[in-house]
Amino acid sequence: MISSSVDPRHTFLEFLDSETLPDEFVEGVKRYKYRGSSGKVNLALDALPTFKCMPGEGAHLRGAISISPSVEYMERAYDDAKYGHYSRRPYIDMVIPSLTDPSVAPPGKHVMSCFVQYAPYKLAPGLDWDTEKEKFGDTVIDTLAEHAPNIKDIILHRQVVTPLDLEREWGLSEGNIFQGELSLEQLFFLRPVPGYARFRTPVENLYLCGSATHPGGGIMGAPGRLAALEILKSRI
Amino acid sequence: MPDTCDIVIIGGGHNGLVTAFYLATAGFKPLVLERHEQVGGAAITNEFHPGFRISRLAHTAGAIRPQIARDMELERHGLKLLQPPIAVTSLSSDGRALKLYHDQSKSLLELATFSQRDAKKYEEFAVSLKKIAAVISDVLAMTPPDIDRPSKADLWGMLQTGRAMRKLGKNDMYRLLRWGPMPVADLVAEYFEDELLRGTIAARGVFGTFLGPWSAGSSLVLLLRAAGDPHPAGSTVFVQGGSGALTEAMARAAQAAGAEIRTSAEVREIRVKEGVATGVVLASGEEIGARAVISNADPKRTLLKLLDPIHLSPDFVRRLVNYRMHGTVAKVNLALSGLPSFTGLDSDPMKGRIQIGPTVDYLERAFDHSKYGELSEHPYLEITIPSLMDSSLAPAGQHVMSVYMQYAPYKLKNGDWNAQRDGLLQTVMSTLAEYAPHIRELMVAAEVITPKDLEEEFGLTGGHIFHGELALDQFFTMRPLLDWPRYSTPVGSLFLCGSGTHPGVGLTGESGANAAREILKQLKR
Repeated sequence: MISSSVDPRHTFLEFLDSETLPDEFVEGVKRYKYRGSSGKVNLALDALPTFKCMPGEGAHLRGAISISPSVEYMERAYDDAKYGHYSRRPYIDMVIPSLTDPSVAPPGKHVMSCFVQYAPYKLAPGLDWDTEKEKFGDTVIDTLAEHAPNIKDIILHRQVVTPLDLEREWGLSEGNIFQGELSLEQLFFLRPVPGYARFRTPVENLYLCGSATHPGGGIMGAPGRLAALEILKSRI
Repeated sequence: MPDTCDIVIIGGGHNGLVTAFYLATAGFKPLVLERHEQVGGAAITNEFHPGFRISRLAHTAGAIRPQIARDMELERHGLKLLQPPIAVTSLSSDGRALKLYHDQSKSLLELATFSQRDAKKYEEFAVSLKKIAAVISDVLAMTPPDIDRPSKADLWGMLQTGRAMRKLGKNDMYRLLRWGPMPVADLVAEYFEDELLRGTIAARGVFGTFLGPWSAGSSLVLLLRAAGDPHPAGSTVFVQGGSGALTEAMARAAQAAGAEIRTSAEVREIRVKEGVATGVVLASGEEIGARAVISNADPKRTLLKLLDPIHLSPDFVRRLVNYRMHGTVAKVNLALSGLPSFTGLDSDPMKGRIQIGPTVDYLERAFDHSKYGELSEHPYLEITIPSLMDSSLAPAGQHVMSVYMQYAPYKLKNGDWNAQRDGLLQTVMSTLAEYAPHIRELMVAAEVITPKDLEEEFGLTGGHIFHGELALDQFFTMRPLLDWPRYSTPVGSLFLCGSGTHPGVGLTGESGANAAREILKQLKR
């Protein structure tokens, strides 16, 4: 029994000879959409950032901090992505885990993890992620600096993760963190391929258990559990 | 002593006329009250400049459900349809033109010159689309089921739909399930490589909506249109004499069946007593009693303007206020001293629709502006020159050109529509001039219909030509509101029959026919 938690593109188009699979299944696998749209900027900080709207320390730094000031702001950030550019003014969702878990940084210092949208996997012609990576990182820091003016002074180290990095290092095709878009046409009984939404594949004893199956991405553990239940059922 | 009649129908738009016909045929005596001098609603012909007549708003027909056209014997009542050989010609800024014919074999030959692969894919797409469209077509003729307490008829209808879907076969059934929620940009990319072809088909998913090709649900709009007309890019049919001739034929059919029609009779208020509609009051003060009142006006206008809100629950009012009716369409009607010359086109393609909306990105960028309350800088245009097929519309050698412009958002960020009227005309003319360089020299007169004009003159709240967004959450059992998709309203004996009810797509007459069927059931109780 083999259960693959990597996405369908890897499982069926790389780890298997797709010629041995049914044509319509392969068509469905190829049609399944990834289109990653997010990046990350991880920061090692010498001190805490202080935000203009609520200066100093406080409970507000221990939860998630969101730069998403209006629907229009978010929509304009998305507009950039449609035409193959990362957002000039991105949506950023960040946490400072060292405030609740001091073991992750030296005393008095901090780590800040920034989730950024939009960073479309497919950039406009002439652009590539390896070249754009640090410019993207700069855009994120510049945006942060508008809200936390001390940020540039306290960065000890920065790690930028682009959709291409997600693909190369984490095996997430096209940098989609949910192993495939969470859009209606590929959810529930249509995920990842219509007719193959119950964790089974055309290959006997080969199952899928990753986020490319129902209910999709997010750290739920649900696809894994449901797949396990299906496998157990089949062994009875 | 106020007059009492059988049934009052507010508004003589095409759906109201269809409802009047079916009610009269069933033995009732409907009275249609139309505030303008002519019936027709969005389907009217006017002489907008001396000697030049045009379909002032809706400029093509042909989507009329064939059963309705047959029942009403529209041909006998004077309806004559004209179909050009080319359905749509889509223009690209690099001088290319893609012609899609009514005769598919000609379209395939044309497409093969662009891409052999796309020609083959177009054929496959057309086959699947036709089969899927047939299933949806039946859904459009259904009354949406009562979700809380489905009747036997409701359950039977749902069962039939389920069976029809299964009969599609696995592949097309899955296609139907996938296509519904998809953005049309993804749908066209699944089949086609050529950008111009993609843009041409994608436009069918966004015309008249507040959606872009990347919006979820835009494929549903394409499917709803295909249900009435499975041609992938949409067929093109004109009414001889303009769209007004269609509604005039409908009026004659309704009158022949026994309906009465009064024009220049604006309804100002719907009278309600103890939760039941008892008639209407005209702007003139005249009161007309009736045992039932049916409104062809949109749901908001009917229930929030013609009715005292005291008769509706606050929750219902709140929900209705949130029923989206954001118009994005404007119209420019031109009287021309001669036939325009589009770069690279002879006169044949000009007999059908001409599309300026060459790529998915072009359409999406045009849509982007509307999200922020701006007019599109490079608008999507749907153009017809009906005088080429119908010489009754303009003096010999001269022409009328009908242009739908998208996106012109009803709610502007800066200023109001009166201030923007001229800017809109200029934007349309410059865009036209990119493809037909000397068009301005031919202009004898221009009429601009802004979204505000659509609201004030045509009675379309928010300037929305379909009486409300054709969105996933305002469709079928949710049109206009969940709980109220079955042509009735919280007020007893008050019904809706316009496009703000299921199915609501364009000039089909379906809403009117469905409404008549449901209303008859209620009246016969």
